[in-house]
Amino acid sequence: MRPARPSRPGGPALLPRLLALVLAALVVLAPAPAVAAPDTGGGTAVAISPVDLDGPVIADVTVTVENGGDRRMRDLAVSFEGPVGWAVQPETRTVKGSLRTGQEAEVTFQLQVPERRPGLVVRHFTATATYRGGDGAGSATATRAERSGTPLAHVSQAYDTVGITDEAATGAGNFDGEGNSFSAQRLAAVGLTPGARVEALGAELTWPDVPAGTADNVASAGQAIALPGEGSKVVLLGSGVGRQATGSLTVHYTDGSTSSGSFGFPNWSFQDTGAHGATLVAATDGRNRPDGYGNAGIDYNVFAHAVPLDAGKTVEFVVLPANAAVHVFDLALAP
Amino acid sequence: MPEHRAVPRRLVLGGALATGAIAAGAATASAASPGRPAAPPEALAAERTPRRGRGQKSMINVPFEAYRTVRLGIIGLGNRGRSMAPGWAAVPGCTVTAVCDVRADRARRVADDLVSRGAPRPAEYGGAEDSWERMLEREELDLVYVATPWEFHHRQGRAALLAGAHAVVELPIATEVKELWDLVDTSERTRRHLLLAENCSYGRNELAMLKMAHEGLFGDITNGHGGYLHDLRELLFSDTYYTDAWRRRWHTRVNASFYAMHGLAPIAAAMDVNRGDRMATLSATATEPRGLADYRERFVPRSHPSWREEYVKGDLVTCMIGTEKGRTIRAEHDVSSPRPYSRINTLAGSRGIFEDYAGTSSTGGRVYVEPDHSGHAWRDFDAYRKEFDHWLWKKIGDDAANNGGHGGMDYVLQWRTVQLMRAGLVPDIDVYDSAAWCAPFPLSAESLRRSGRPVSVPDFTRGGWVNLRLGLDSRPSDMPPVP
Repeated sequence: MRPARPSRPGGPALLPRLLALVLAALVVLAPAPAVAAPDTGGGTAVAISPVDLDGPVIADVTVTVENGGDRRMRDLAVSFEGPVGWAVQPETRTVKGSLRTGQEAEVTFQLQVPERRPGLVVRHFTATATYRGGDGAGSATATRAERSGTPLAHVSQAYDTVGITDEAATGAGNFDGEGNSFSAQRLAAVGLTPGARVEALGAELTWPDVPAGTADNVASAGQAIALPGEGSKVVLLGSGVGRQATGSLTVHYTDGSTSSGSFGFPNWSFQDTGAHGATLVAATDGRNRPDGYGNAGIDYNVFAHAVPLDAGKTVEFVVLPANAAVHVFDLALAP
Repeated sequence: MPEHRAVPRRLVLGGALATGAIAAGAATASAASPGRPAAPPEALAAERTPRRGRGQKSMINVPFEAYRTVRLGIIGLGNRGRSMAPGWAAVPGCTVTAVCDVRADRARRVADDLVSRGAPRPAEYGGAEDSWERMLEREELDLVYVATPWEFHHRQGRAALLAGAHAVVELPIATEVKELWDLVDTSERTRRHLLLAENCSYGRNELAMLKMAHEGLFGDITNGHGGYLHDLRELLFSDTYYTDAWRRRWHTRVNASFYAMHGLAPIAAAMDVNRGDRMATLSATATEPRGLADYRERFVPRSHPSWREEYVKGDLVTCMIGTEKGRTIRAEHDVSSPRPYSRINTLAGSRGIFEDYAGTSSTGGRVYVEPDHSGHAWRDFDAYRKEFDHWLWKKIGDDAANNGGHGGMDYVLQWRTVQLMRAGLVPDIDVYDSAAWCAPFPLSAESLRRSGRPVSVPDFTRGGWVNLRLGLDSRPSDMPPVP
């Protein structure tokens, strides 16, 4: 840990180096609710240095805190954390003494970085400073997101689940984790044949163009999928397992910004078809079980749900939620 | 079945340690109380961490000096030493230059075998109790591999370091806490590495599990479960497999977890023990010792010398280990009950779990991690082991299959050990890891003597455990070309 060192007085406007670092790192300052008398002279700046993601490696990460308030900052403690399961040493560092207005302190943490995973991966890091005095806010948090790899070119490259089988060969199916699947014949009866066009919520989607009994949908687990273009919303075609098939879709734009929106699908059968705000696209009669077709008279459903986009921006790719109960057959932009 | 000598030669050669162990075992047998509830949670006061001697420094992150080639000596040519010798000779840049066993004919046979495989003939030592000492005195060795019965490991590993060699010692490196400290101190004084020959640390599933843990797929790791569950009854009563029945005789000496390292070490690695966490307390339970006596009753003739033995080691000895960061490890040892083999290898955290020796996957493992999985159903490990396959297996997996036992783990251990030395790298496993993983042997005995009360696990790193550092989850590197 480096001790607090002086910098030029005069507040954040006179700290271009720190500001540049903050912007370069895509840092978001998020002061927590004030725990002392509010005195937000210039705000507290927290910045996280770039992280070496070329693991396995023990990487040093530096967090810089600058007192932008008009009072001395005392009892400064800085905590840092990476993705869940990544070891950090130490988890919190304290800074001796105090920082006058405009002064900054640097603290260093060790981070255990694993080997890179294939595909696009976004790693999130968070540093939180707690203090007394300064701007009076009591704490400030910086987050940093670092990307590596490239997104999948199409959702079909993420297919990992067999959700549709032929009634004559149901063994490969496992949409729900219990060996059950949609019936290809019953889907065809409602127009969902391989490669069929599906219109939903203003978007044109495509039903999986793969043979029955092969991977035809993706169980959402944070996969990044290219979806270049412009529009008003992203429409997802899918269905749910369990009753909490919900999550947040993150949209990455070509200008480097992101937005996110929540969506969800009802259980493919045993839940209100409007649950989580979804729209019913098609209902099929019965399902395929490991021992063949069954459950006739019960509907098994396909839904659509949409997430709005930031107006005027061009989408680069989207990141599916981290919830494998959310199964996606396709996604598309709607005008 | 042939007649047997009343007092085996091996027991005589065991010397003071074996005698002491017998005495301790007698006391333990009467004190152990299987099934009793655990004592209050406070651990017994730790032995004071001994101060480092003058000039003695930590071996953490100390690389090997780079060796152009590695000259290896082997002490102990029983089942293990003999089977490992060809693997050592097959590693590029490693030459088995000397072999030793108290039985000279074994040294001759191993030497003959190496020659038949195209390797240079090693010097042979044998025929006397101190043959291994003569080998260390006369030969210039870079590395000594110790594969003798457990009671000799401490003395021979220590002597190898003092002779100027590094040492790779079969499980356990020692059987007493003071011996473990002695090996740590000797390594630090001599600046030579001593490492446990824990082949299972290099198991393909175990290494993939480790890399998944570091990726965070299991979330924050909270608990793990490993051990050595291997029905050895037939071998333990064999008149030829374990020389002088040395391994069975340990079951008459002390009630302890002799050999849980095969399952404990991979779990400890995945928890970064000595690399950010450490094992802090241990409490043990033991079942009654029934298995060996029952087997003997059914299958061993009354004329067999084993009928003069009383078995005191509980069939299943379980160590509950708490770490400094609040994780728990359950380490088990059972070699005297009828059951299929397992090292368990279970690792769990806030986001998921891996279990080995379970399910139907060809890898032998199954997994359930959020967000990849939902629905309360296990998934095959196959896809994860493929993605998280360790670079060592990608690089030398085929060689391992051709050259080594135990599914190739032995050869990976051998290749990597030689590579680390020749490339001048920091060892994946060091003396601190080795001491910590073997400490449950004496500590479980102590806990059982005290009705299962927790005992403190020594900090063999003397505080160095707090710092993160790489270990078995290493960066890829090459074997230097053979000159």
